[in-house]
Amino acid sequence: MRSNRPAGAVRILALVALGGLLGVTAGCGSDGDGGSGSDGGNVTIRFDWWGNPDRAAATEAAVKLFQTKNPNIKVETSYAEFNAYFQKLATQIAGGGAPDVLQMDYRFVREYADRGVLAPLNEGPAKVDTANVTEQLLSGGTVNDKLYGIPPTQNTQIFNYDFAAWQKAGAAEPKEGWTWADLSAAAKKVSDSTGGKVRGVVDFGGIEDWFEVWLRQQGKTLYTEDGKLGYTAADVTRWWQFTDGLRRNGAATPAQVTTKVDGSQANDPVVQKTASSGFAYDSGFTPDTWQIMGRELKLTHFPTDGGKLGQYAKPAMMFSISQASKQKEAAAKLINFLINDNEAGKTLGMSRGLPANAKVREQVGGALQGPPQAAYQFEQQIGPKLEPAPPPPPKGASTAKSTFQRIYDDVIFQRAQIPQAAEKFFAEAQQAIAS
Amino acid sequence: MAQTLEQPAEVSGKPDLRRPRDRRRHRYGERPGIAYLFLSPWVLGALLLTVGPMLASLYLSFTDYNLFTTPNWVGWDNYQRLFTEDERFRTAIWVTAKYVLLSTPLKLAAALAVAMLLNRQSRAQGLYRSAFYAPSLLGASVAVALVWRVIFDTGGVVDSGLASIGINTGGWVANPRYALLVIVILGVWQFGAPMVIFLAGLKQIPKELYDAASVDGAGWWRTFRSVTLPMLSPVIFFNLVLETIHAFQAFTGAFVVSSGRGGPSDSTLFYTLYLYQRGFTEYKMGYASAMAWLLVLAIAAVTALLFRTARTWVFYAGEDAK
Repeated sequence: MRSNRPAGAVRILALVALGGLLGVTAGCGSDGDGGSGSDGGNVTIRFDWWGNPDRAAATEAAVKLFQTKNPNIKVETSYAEFNAYFQKLATQIAGGGAPDVLQMDYRFVREYADRGVLAPLNEGPAKVDTANVTEQLLSGGTVNDKLYGIPPTQNTQIFNYDFAAWQKAGAAEPKEGWTWADLSAAAKKVSDSTGGKVRGVVDFGGIEDWFEVWLRQQGKTLYTEDGKLGYTAADVTRWWQFTDGLRRNGAATPAQVTTKVDGSQANDPVVQKTASSGFAYDSGFTPDTWQIMGRELKLTHFPTDGGKLGQYAKPAMMFSISQASKQKEAAAKLINFLINDNEAGKTLGMSRGLPANAKVREQVGGALQGPPQAAYQFEQQIGPKLEPAPPPPPKGASTAKSTFQRIYDDVIFQRAQIPQAAEKFFAEAQQAIAS
Repeated sequence: MAQTLEQPAEVSGKPDLRRPRDRRRHRYGERPGIAYLFLSPWVLGALLLTVGPMLASLYLSFTDYNLFTTPNWVGWDNYQRLFTEDERFRTAIWVTAKYVLLSTPLKLAAALAVAMLLNRQSRAQGLYRSAFYAPSLLGASVAVALVWRVIFDTGGVVDSGLASIGINTGGWVANPRYALLVIVILGVWQFGAPMVIFLAGLKQIPKELYDAASVDGAGWWRTFRSVTLPMLSPVIFFNLVLETIHAFQAFTGAFVVSSGRGGPSDSTLFYTLYLYQRGFTEYKMGYASAMAWLLVLAIAAVTALLFRTARTWVFYAGEDAK
């Protein structure tokens, strides 16, 4: 029996494998050119970023403008969604085919810089003029006194809420210096007034970004200067006990809604109208935002117990140049144009957030309307109170962030006691940034 | 599979074993080069694109390779960490084991049931067969997994259907108790491939056996247990091995339904999904390679076990003649 039965399997498997091989070998054919190179004074550079189609349209328009001003530089662009972008980028770099100009994330910049993949932008051939970029933002792209990423924009943490719903429920609207207890009480009122159909607030316990602001309000940080965790498991326990209480008394969204929160609009309870408020970043506001939300929201700062705000100007994304690029001057020229040129600024608008260049910002700000205008006003108002960005987090920080949300799931689905869950998270986070 | 029942002589009668080999030597003996020439595209492909990368990954599993820097040899470190300090590794094994144990028998049962229905003579046979086979062609695709997520999500068809009869699950996808079931059902639904093989196997069962059974007054159940199942056991075994291996390798459904996170609360953290997370979102390629090799070993062990048990329940026509 051994001899003929498996032979059938082998034969079928072999056929499948053959089919696969044909596909693969066919795919190899078109891998000839591409990448950067120059011919006769003309230079081609590649520029990759992550984002949605609306950002792509704005970016491509700006790149076109750059090309008409620099006819000898040709820019090839491509973009993808965040996760796909970083997977592709990592394999491209490993294979020696990194794009010349790339969009870098705050959580990854140290990891990539430490591995020698990025070119310094404050010296050498890739030097970019950053005279007008807010100083507070540049610290977010600086690793060991070298600048590896220039944030084209800044954003900051916000609390946005459906003020009509809050008024209707008789909930006290946030005002200067409101506290976490105020938030808790108001959210409960909103939930109660709708019989729990619309919850007062999106359960924010699993999002490390909001935990960070809370930590900073108490004078702690997410990461210390030397890249260790800046808090203890006890801090996590206290935070989760607070948010767990909100969910239990109905003020915050139930577990099955919360677990789907992933930063996308499609899974945002505020957009789906299952919650009336939540924490967010102010970089996501486009002219269509109120339409997507189905109502107008108000933006305000975080609640705080000690009067310390804890919010900071966040360099959410950066432009970097890869160390392997053969066209660093041209690449630097493109970044320079994108962050410092007025026309480029107007073309890009708020597609990446508020321009980091103070001069460009003034230009852009005057012409805004609707939701971006609201975000702009909020930034202007809160700007002086914002702290400088902490140094880029250590490598493994993105794993720690996703671990935070994953283990919070255990809390909301009541699969673990809070102190144990906090300990477990703490151990995993330490492991993630150590290895 | 058409030849399954025609070759028993080769197995039971030892003298037969020499003859085919002699014939083969005679046929290709003078110019073996031709055979290898025609084989070469596939041999080369297998060596360069499968065996080569596999050996490379075996080497990498003993390193700290992270995609960017040159790998450093770390010995058994990755394997040791998997077994001593990685709790999610254990979760992933548990989730995968549950999936294999649930989906494989259900899928085979569904495939056999539908194959028996289709084995009857009726008009539009071809149409039905194609219709039932279609999910296997579509089911592995991302699009269907996305649709699946919508169907089982909060407010989806299943959720509102159950809610209307008073069962409130709040959607299966976001519920750690049911999320795995969604993927199991997606897997079972793709029963087309084993179904076609079962159908071929059913057609091979000699009519006389059924006639004899009915003369003896056997009912449907008796006939099924005493004729169909034993005669079909080699085909069942074949499908079982193939589907078990497939189940171990399941990835797309879990990846799409949980948006690559394996959630909620790690309830759909398939082994392959965890491997992917380690390798492609954390760039721990050495660690991921070690995981891949452990999976290969696990599949090999389970397959060997299946072959071991096969002796007791797989029946080949002609064997009992001895």
